[in-house]
Amino acid sequence: MTPSVNRTYRLGSDIGGTFTDLVLISPDGRYTTRKVSSTVDDYSRGIAEGAVAMLQELQMTGDSIREVVHGTTIATNAILENKGAKTALITTKGFRDVLELRRLRVPELFSLNYTPPPPLVERRLRLEVDERLAADGSVITELDIASVNRAIERIKQGGAEAVAVCLLHSYRNGEHEERIAELVKEALPEVYLSVSIKVLPEIREYERTSTTVVNAYIGPLVNRYIRALGTRLKDVGIGAPIRIMQSNGGVMSAAAAAETPAQIIESGPAAGVVGAHRLAGRLGLQNVITFDMGGTTAKASIIEDGGRSLTTEYEVGAGISLSSRLVKGRGHALKLPVIDISEVGAGGGSIVSVDRGGALKVGPESAGATPGPACYGAGGTDATITDANVTLGYINPGELAGGAVLLHADLARQAIRTSAAEPLGMSEEEAASGVFAIANVTMIRAIKAVSTYRGRDPRDFTMLAFGGSGPVHAAEIARSLSIRQVIIPPAPGVFSAVGLLEADPEYHFVQTFISAAHSIDPAAINRAYRGLRKRASQALEADAIIPDDAEWVRQADLRYSGQAYELTVDVPGVTGDDEHDDLDDRALAEVVSRFHHEHERTYGHMSETDAVDFINLRYSARFATNSPPPHAVANIKGKSSGERRVYFGPETGHITTPIMARSGLSESPLAGPLIIEEYDATTVVPPGTSARLDAAANIIIDIELD
Amino acid sequence: MTARNIDPVTFEVIQNGLDSLVDEMAITIMRTAYSGIVKDALDYSTALCDRNGRVIAQGLTIIMHLGSFPSIVNSIIRQYEGRIYPGDVFIANDPYESGGIHLPDVFIIKPIFVNGELEAYAGTVAHQADIGGLVSGSNATESVEIYQEGLRIPTLKLYERGEANKTLFAMIKINVRVPEMVLGDMRSQIAANAIGERSYLELSRRYGAELIRNFSDELLDYSERLARQEISELPDGEYEWESYIDADNTPEGPVKICVKLTIKGDEIDVDMTGSTPQVRAGINSPLPFTEAAIYGAIRLIMDPGIPNAAGYQRPIHIHVPEATVVNPVHPAPCAARGITGFRTMDAVMGALAQAVPDRVPADGEGGNTNITVGGYHEDHTAFAFVDLFAGGRGGRPTGDGPDGVPHPAANIACTPVEIAEADHPILIEAYGLIQDTGGPGKFRGSLGHVRQIRNLAGRATLQIRSDKRKFPPYGLHGGGPGSRSQNILNPGPDEVLLRTMVQVEIECGDVLRHEMSSGGGWGDPLERDPALVARDVLDEKVSIPHAAGAYGVVVNPDTLEVDEAETVALRNEIRSQRD
Repeated sequence: MTPSVNRTYRLGSDIGGTFTDLVLISPDGRYTTRKVSSTVDDYSRGIAEGAVAMLQELQMTGDSIREVVHGTTIATNAILENKGAKTALITTKGFRDVLELRRLRVPELFSLNYTPPPPLVERRLRLEVDERLAADGSVITELDIASVNRAIERIKQGGAEAVAVCLLHSYRNGEHEERIAELVKEALPEVYLSVSIKVLPEIREYERTSTTVVNAYIGPLVNRYIRALGTRLKDVGIGAPIRIMQSNGGVMSAAAAAETPAQIIESGPAAGVVGAHRLAGRLGLQNVITFDMGGTTAKASIIEDGGRSLTTEYEVGAGISLSSRLVKGRGHALKLPVIDISEVGAGGGSIVSVDRGGALKVGPESAGATPGPACYGAGGTDATITDANVTLGYINPGELAGGAVLLHADLARQAIRTSAAEPLGMSEEEAASGVFAIANVTMIRAIKAVSTYRGRDPRDFTMLAFGGSGPVHAAEIARSLSIRQVIIPPAPGVFSAVGLLEADPEYHFVQTFISAAHSIDPAAINRAYRGLRKRASQALEADAIIPDDAEWVRQADLRYSGQAYELTVDVPGVTGDDEHDDLDDRALAEVVSRFHHEHERTYGHMSETDAVDFINLRYSARFATNSPPPHAVANIKGKSSGERRVYFGPETGHITTPIMARSGLSESPLAGPLIIEEYDATTVVPPGTSARLDAAANIIIDIELD
Repeated sequence: MTARNIDPVTFEVIQNGLDSLVDEMAITIMRTAYSGIVKDALDYSTALCDRNGRVIAQGLTIIMHLGSFPSIVNSIIRQYEGRIYPGDVFIANDPYESGGIHLPDVFIIKPIFVNGELEAYAGTVAHQADIGGLVSGSNATESVEIYQEGLRIPTLKLYERGEANKTLFAMIKINVRVPEMVLGDMRSQIAANAIGERSYLELSRRYGAELIRNFSDELLDYSERLARQEISELPDGEYEWESYIDADNTPEGPVKICVKLTIKGDEIDVDMTGSTPQVRAGINSPLPFTEAAIYGAIRLIMDPGIPNAAGYQRPIHIHVPEATVVNPVHPAPCAARGITGFRTMDAVMGALAQAVPDRVPADGEGGNTNITVGGYHEDHTAFAFVDLFAGGRGGRPTGDGPDGVPHPAANIACTPVEIAEADHPILIEAYGLIQDTGGPGKFRGSLGHVRQIRNLAGRATLQIRSDKRKFPPYGLHGGGPGSRSQNILNPGPDEVLLRTMVQVEIECGDVLRHEMSSGGGWGDPLERDPALVARDVLDEKVSIPHAAGAYGVVVNPDTLEVDEAETVALRNEIRSQRD
């Protein structure tokens, strides 16, 4: 890589529970990577230190970086681990239990033991104020300021760091919420405020309250984190703007993320799917299962007919998203668009144990970055999946990440011995092999959740595997599912960080606009769209983006009068010129007609005589980055050769297996067993499979099926 | 599985494919329906039956609907065999002619043909917002014969060879109070069937009709094998239980439901002899509904992984005497029979609690209350707000009864307050938990829930189907009972206590406060961890006096912390008083 041209490089950084991955990409698409241990006490330190080391190595300085794009699981982890802010909720008198009662319905039809997750705000901090709006937004009871002050007093006493405000029918009239927000801000300037009309101005009190509360619960943490990251990077000379990956696969400015952190809940996992989607496009693959196994969890998503799968029926903290979107109630409702990803608690750091019934268990507890697996020698004594993989000989018993982590095979064996082999009366290899098999079964559930459970046959898909541990397990998992082909992209261990740099900036603005289509006032709808456009322009300006490059899309959500769910249709004609873009009766009739046809296409019927309502108006901007496809600069580290004894299960036993670098493969297939070691990941090519390299340096593993 | 030449991967793909098909049908209804009871409360089900009418997949919806799909499809086969054509769509709701479960539950069924052969039925049932009859919403409790309960639809063709039966549509339209809602919801059912058919055809193109037929046989055998295995692990014996319905809407009440379970080997006999004869009030439960309650209860103590297919019912043999509230004959009214189905399930659970005490929770809220406010707008068009209200279970062997989880028989959702008020001339003034109501126990029952509704229209009809005032939910193993339900009209100095089942005229501004029963407690409340009691006090779920009175836990009113010495003393005192 040549010394820097000023501000032309982009830095991607993806934080996981165990490792922080960094990718530096040049304008022509060449990139170098680095993997460092996550610094759990302050994640931003790991990023800054890693970036500095990387720049030094390449003899570059911080001002050569034009943009930092960041993906993080900090928000999700806070919810999964109950480590978010102490949060209070201010709501309408008579309704403090809406958050706890949810929508009643449970995800398990035949279970007597189902327990909903505890609400993110305890009942003692769910505070009611005297006020009431009617369904049309008119005021039935004026806001009683004294009741707000009483609530503020309780918040002070309770020591809440964040406050969510959600009142009945506020989506029709935000005045009471705004007034409460002002009073809270005045009395408690240091608390993080999340107001429902800003987060999700949509009808349905539970979903709106829950989304607003999630936003509050993670708000202080995400804000501190983003600020710390900015400061850290500035301190090391990287002053470029920071953008954050959103759950929907677009990127947003750090300032926007700080305002609605609920939009970055699935930030980290989304980046991997974005990268996979781009790669699938370049390879001409229509149907891909993505399999991403890191240190803490494994995730799966599908790309079908060339498109990513999005959902707005998302729940955060639900553990695994199983068969269908009717299965609600495991987590907390979050009604914002999210890439549809299923996730299980199985990663390299997942802890192995034997339960009272004598059954071998893997995860979901994780050894995390510290102490990490026993073989890291950082004081961990619990055996993990990684320890099993070292014991089996899959993972190099010497070092990981080019020596960033030194591995101690003896500690791995010892942990496997005490945690599993001895209690079960097995050899170390047999026990490790059992751990490998159970981990695979667990991860197969995540893949089935996005394929067979939705009636998709995994045999119709190619698997794209990445993440630090993904390529170790991918081929065996694919074989169990009768998937014929697995692709391991270059730099698989930092693939999500590469994906960050392939996402386009996206801005979405929505405004509730409820009106019967037959009596709609064109002037009112045009005013609303102009307002949205103004908000969009201001946001772009704040992020120093030139609106000329934007691809603008104007949409509207409509439904038949009386229905509960809308369909979104495009509204024609966006030039950016207000006069020209105004809608007239004919254009509005066209929108309604598009709705009828969309209803027919989606549900198989329409009724042109039934009344139609407009519900929401939308305005979005997308920016195609048009950057050249990324390609990895050959990494000198992690070049391996030689052979070692590897245990491939009780039936096959030990095989002396060749060890090679990715560059040791060619277009002509080599039969397994093989182990391919590189800087950020190890790929296992088991017996009964073969591996080759395509022109873009992807490893293609072909699996012989019985 | 090899016996029928289906490899395990294919078996799983087809099984999950069908499960996803019925869920896709369910989502179609949810997204396109017009009435709150369907689109928000989700009182509907979808199913796929094989060509013999056996359920092989059911959407994640209502357990109690599972029993009636076979009876409806069998009525189609019985009446139309040889005259079923591609493009046909059937409709039915009548319990006595067609195997229905009460008139508002309208079944719409589409036969699916592959290469000209009838292979399956896509089925939907939706609780319509109204089907005519005595009372708005058509869930009458005061009816004395089925003719008062609305439009009876025998098994008829709504479409024949793709051609709509306009006569029938016109008949339905004029007989229901809210025709736009009812016809809109029926359209959503028809659309769901079409979606189900499309997915089924995709599956059969991929795997072939014969393989799916084999799959269906195999799935039913497989679920039967799993069920037999589970039953054989239960202790053999006879277990009896009685449960009661207040039934204060009829002089024949209270109603008694008797269950005797005989577990022997890998089979269970269920005998309901001794249950009250059918009554002249709309709470008689047609046999398919009663059977669904029994199957559902037994299924609840089994491994949840057993496929949702009818095979698991084969080792269960049911005997229900005719002309009783649990197997009525024509013309017994049944509009509000839900309560009887719930109580049947509770009775079976009570019997099972003796066989497997470590699996069965204490009694819960008793199944959803139905509250209907119906009347006319100023322009003389009708409205019907049908509110299904639920959400409290009893304490469990492993922990407290969860708040906000409905009776297992009816996995409904609550109607959002905002939707209810946007669609109807009502104001919901309160929706939440009631302090101190949870049945005390080592593991406490859920708190009771309250819903307070104000009528904003002119004169309207208020109709309520609730229960558990005279017979509150029972506790188990020393746990206390749950609270008693209340229906209070215009709370305040002039309040009136209404019956549990009632139909009254109300005026603009009148308010109903409905307090639901809470869950019963499990285990001795004196064994409850004082820290949990203190947590409940902090959360205002339990008051300081109630903590002392019910749990023997003394909480300091200033610090809200447990006074341990005084707690030990108080608990000893309560124990000594017991002896």
